[in-house]
Amino acid sequence: MWVNFKNTHKLLLACMAGLGLALSSANSATAQTVEEIQEAGKIRVGVLVDFPPFGLLDGSGQPAGYDPDLAKMLADKLGVELELVPVSGPNRVPYLLTNRVDLLIAALGVTKERAEQVDFSDPSATVDQVLYAGKDLKIEKLEDLSGHSVGVARGSAQDITLTSSVPSDVTLQRYDDDPSTLQALLAGQADAIAMSTLIIADIAKVTNVDAFEIKFPIRTLVHGIAMRKGNEELQTYINDFLKEVKQNGKLNEIHRKWLGVDFTDVEKPVLQ
Amino acid sequence: MIREFGFPEFMLLIDGAKWTVLLSLVAFAGGSAGGLVIALCRVSASAWLRWPSQAFIRVVQGTPLLMQLFLIFFGLGTFVEIDPWLAAALGLGLNASAFLGEIWRGSIQAIPNGQTEAAHALGLNYLDRMRFVILPQARRMAYAPTVGFAVQVVKSTSLAAIIGFTEVTRAGQIVNNATFKPFLVFGIVAVIYFFMCWPLTLLSDHLERRAAIPNRSPK
Repeated sequence: MWVNFKNTHKLLLACMAGLGLALSSANSATAQTVEEIQEAGKIRVGVLVDFPPFGLLDGSGQPAGYDPDLAKMLADKLGVELELVPVSGPNRVPYLLTNRVDLLIAALGVTKERAEQVDFSDPSATVDQVLYAGKDLKIEKLEDLSGHSVGVARGSAQDITLTSSVPSDVTLQRYDDDPSTLQALLAGQADAIAMSTLIIADIAKVTNVDAFEIKFPIRTLVHGIAMRKGNEELQTYINDFLKEVKQNGKLNEIHRKWLGVDFTDVEKPVLQ
Repeated sequence: MIREFGFPEFMLLIDGAKWTVLLSLVAFAGGSAGGLVIALCRVSASAWLRWPSQAFIRVVQGTPLLMQLFLIFFGLGTFVEIDPWLAAALGLGLNASAFLGEIWRGSIQAIPNGQTEAAHALGLNYLDRMRFVILPQARRMAYAPTVGFAVQVVKSTSLAAIIGFTEVTRAGQIVNNATFKPFLVFGIVAVIYFFMCWPLTLLSDHLERRAAIPNRSPK
């Protein structure tokens, strides 16, 4: 089953790469200034709807969460109407590159691979990714995973990180999303999984996780607002906006509302 | 952050189911129209009609539906305005055209040549030959595989999730990601699919019975 998934994934990536190439030449034509957005009177922002608390559907089926709230604040600052476009993990970058949205505020982790396709703003949130496994499994670092299978959400930042850093005899099993990845661990299909501490803190509510524990941190993932390449003016505008809402406490307000803790700012990761 | 599965979550699934039904209907209607044209082209005497239809079928059957949807939405979408709903209907409709075209071509070609020759001898032209002699007989044979494929269409609508179309499987994913209750959520989704597909198989039985040739012994 998951072999199929992997092939599909590869095909998808090939498609995206192809599209990316085709579009990179047209990129300069789709450059966008703040003035153009204000003239249009509307900004289209891609948000996730399946990744609580960053993006979810509320009881009436409308996008809600930390990212949509942040998008609302940005639209208010721009003085334009906000159109939230639901995107998913696999299709969010293609949505941006094919000009279907103006920005992504879609829990998009800042990684080197992604930075080759899109430009990121300063950090808008951080998420701690850890390795999570059964208590009887003796692992303390990535090298100890040798010979084991590790479940990750396909195309996620954990996937990208682990793919490049685990020993070669580790079987990475890629699942559609976090619940499937967690289920793989519970069902014994994966020996360990990579997961955010946000979810781990909450899963005891829905299932018995006494037999599992956090083994070690993998990385702190920094989310950023993503835009098409070559829009320096827009990037500066968004960074100024983020600086402002970080200083006046408005970002902290929505962070407390959705994540339950205070926002901690970090430096924008240096990618080499 | 993880929330309970309640009535609003259930309604999100039902709303997704509505879109699955609508997309299936549109895809099957488009596929039927396209499929009939393809089938007739495939059995045509003219190579100019046979070859393009054959090429269309090869390409569509030889590539994954997922890629077709992706290329239509993101590829075609860079040149013309195309929303997820239109792209999904177009992709699934073209896909169904190719498969239904092949099913129906098989049914048409299964009609003994003598029927065509007899129709020729009666002086019927192409349209009348097809309409009064060949297609009514081919239709009987086509019922079972056509309905079988319709069930397939219902289930393949789930692939439209890749381009941002929220049908019932995608709705299930969204709800599961918020509730972390996979067995409950996808159990309900499976039951919803079952009640969409079950009537189709009942319909198939009914049509087959109605179309059965009386003096042929039943199985």
